[in-house]
Amino acid sequence: MSDVENELRRALRPVDPPAGFAERVMRALPPQRPPATVTPLDIVRTAPRVTAWRRLMTPAALAASLVVAVMLGQQVAFEREQRAGLAASRELMQALRVTSQKLDDAYRAVQSTPPRTQEDEENRS
Amino acid sequence: MSVDPPSLLLRARDGDASAFEALVRMHQSSVFSIGYRMLSRRDAAEDLAQDVFLQLYRRLDSIESLEHLGFWLRRVAANLAIDWLRRATHVATQPLEAGAEVAAQQPDEDPLLNRELRRMLGELAPAARAVMVLRYQEDCDVAEIATSLDMPVNTVKSHIKRSLTALRGKAIGARLITAEEMP
Amino acid sequence: MNARKALCFTALGLAAMGLASPAMAQTRGQLRLPEFAALAKKATESVNVTLAPQVLGLACRFLDKSEPDEAAAQQICTSLTGIYVRKYSFDTDYAYPKEDIEGVRRQLSAPGWSQLVGARSKKDQTDVDVYLLIDGGQAKSLAIIASEPREFVIVNIVGSIDLEKLHELEGKFGVPELQIEAGEKAPAAKAPAPNK
Repeated sequence: MSDVENELRRALRPVDPPAGFAERVMRALPPQRPPATVTPLDIVRTAPRVTAWRRLMTPAALAASLVVAVMLGQQVAFEREQRAGLAASRELMQALRVTSQKLDDAYRAVQSTPPRTQEDEENRS
Repeated sequence: MSVDPPSLLLRARDGDASAFEALVRMHQSSVFSIGYRMLSRRDAAEDLAQDVFLQLYRRLDSIESLEHLGFWLRRVAANLAIDWLRRATHVATQPLEAGAEVAAQQPDEDPLLNRELRRMLGELAPAARAVMVLRYQEDCDVAEIATSLDMPVNTVKSHIKRSLTALRGKAIGARLITAEEMP
Repeated sequence: MNARKALCFTALGLAAMGLASPAMAQTRGQLRLPEFAALAKKATESVNVTLAPQVLGLACRFLDKSEPDEAAAQQICTSLTGIYVRKYSFDTDYAYPKEDIEGVRRQLSAPGWSQLVGARSKKDQTDVDVYLLIDGGQAKSLAIIASEPREFVIVNIVGSIDLEKLHELEGKFGVPELQIEAGEKAPAAKAPAPNK
């Protein structure tokens, strides 16, 4: 490695950010989503003892279980869509970045082309 | 708190704020320095570094390992800095702020040469500058630089070669090194 | 009937008459891209993005408006109906089938496509072509084909395109101002070695 390269490495040693940087980052973080609460599905599998009270409550309990199951399904579908959407948005940004870089290449190619002189134009005709 | 790095990543992904903060502290110098070498201003570098870590927070689930984390942070920081420079919202050619360097100087260093090399680096075009920062500050190999900056490997090599030639020429012109020091 | 439906019906009509050009077999402005899946194993790096209308809409919804680049991307994408990118890099020369790339270029000779940039560098053996599908004075599709010995890139963006906004994503202003009349080709610019 040449002397200039060694000097560059020395000149570019990492420097610390200002004091309190990490704390400022943490303060700037968005609030976290509370974790999803999942009701165990086995409540829909338990067969209740049949008492008069339970005869009254069973339809309500079943309805509640169905609601929980539907909500759980919706939560799963929601999370799946979240993951798919985030993945798609990352792909979108990658695609746009590649596109913009290639437009940049084309732009540079045009900009670096010397303008046609009068002689060139006459030679063309 | 455990400082076992691999578990930090897992815990940060699970929502452990202290684990995420520990990851920030582990990488803050590297990310801040990339911003500082690219943008030449501490305030802009801090803004950039904060943006990078906020992006990390949102994308923690896509980080596969600590090695991937380092690569991801370097890549995002360098590309964000290039974007900012090209938008010209941060002045790229301002001289470094006086007294800004807080890294301890080694006894055999030439502070004037170091300062001038950094200044000359600030005169390179954004993409070339990013290549040089990743190479000589972060010690990345050519393949990683190419992947990080979405550039062909040969382009990275060209940037390094041309930038070193330009820096050598300027350093000789400024009489910071003599022609004999050229390899 | 809006212009888009009119185009579709025209395409269907032409197809029925057996006069459909290859470029009109799919959504107008969408190129037929070869299957490059086998190349991914040989490539040192590959980008393969296919965002058809529904997935593109989903992607746009998940962009983070607080991020400047993603907010800019969202502005660009609201009028797009498809984004297709193929980028493959290799560590040896011409590890990819040049004929496949030429096949895509040939589709751009179909009516409606205008060449915005055509740059050739014999020294670096690089070619960059940028085409727009002009319809009613508006850019309705963009195609970029860039090839060099160890890399090729094909980009096809379908929909109403704002080139300025697209270019701004990289932070550079100034798409080359070449006067294009619908149906005419811009003169091809010969490029010396691109200075990256």
